Amino acid sequence: MKRAWVILLTGVALGLCSYCGFYFAGTASYRAMLGSATPELTWLKNEFHLSDAELQSITQLHAAYLPQCAEMCRQIDAKNAELQQLLSKSSAFTPEIESKLAEVAGIRVECQKNMLRHFFEVGRSMSAEQGKRYLAWVQARTFLPEHGMHQPASFGSPNEHGHR
Amino acid sequence: MNARNTNEQDVRLDVLLHEWKADAALPPRFQEEVWRRIAHADTPVRIPWWAELWQLLEAAFRRPALAVVYVTVLLLVGFGAGLMQAREKASQVDHTLEARYLQSVDPYLKAR
Repeated sequence: MKRAWVILLTGVALGLCSYCGFYFAGTASYRAMLGSATPELTWLKNEFHLSDAELQSITQLHAAYLPQCAEMCRQIDAKNAELQQLLSKSSAFTPEIESKLAEVAGIRVECQKNMLRHFFEVGRSMSAEQGKRYLAWVQARTFLPEHGMHQPASFGSPNEHGHR
Repeated sequence: MNARNTNEQDVRLDVLLHEWKADAALPPRFQEEVWRRIAHADTPVRIPWWAELWQLLEAAFRRPALAVVYVTVLLLVGFGAGLMQAREKASQVDHTLEARYLQSVDPYLKAR
């Protein structure tokens, strides 16, 4: 009776220990990544096999780019709000709407230029092979029709663009 | 000699038994009670399913090979489940961080 209980509970305890051990070992690097100061850049380091020096250079580029990106977000939101206001007041296509659309398009072009400059700089900070891979990936995720640039711009706050 | 004595004793016992009259009264519903007890004794004792299972386990664990197999299987199940969950979690974190990076560099990329 006692022997059966001991075997039964030992099996269950070992099974649980094995589960917890492999789960924690398997997620250790990801927990460390989430605990870092800039998890998204640590992810970039892992994904594109960056050296510490490369990561440092990219972190500096990233930090310099973020204020520009935030400013673009602010301008996009402001222009979108103006356009929305014009559209809500108008019942026909007016020269003001045309002018506002041109301004919105101008900001979009400016934003695309800034982004591309940043992407090329980041790509150049990596090894040739990883840089090429990075450019292909980031352009596919931001410039291709089903992603980023081709999505309608938000009418909400800059926070919705990911600047948190 | 012994057989003759035994036969004589049996005959005397038979005579005594035939002469004996029981004058004690039977308790009420004696016969019914006797039949009830017989019926109850014939009913098989029902063992609950968990007791049967426990008996099977006890019997199985008396064999060391089966006990080792049981512990090994639970270890492997824990190993597999832990590994699968870890992979799922890793993939989830991977996607989250990828999205966070893209959102940080693309003003048009809304949080999804």
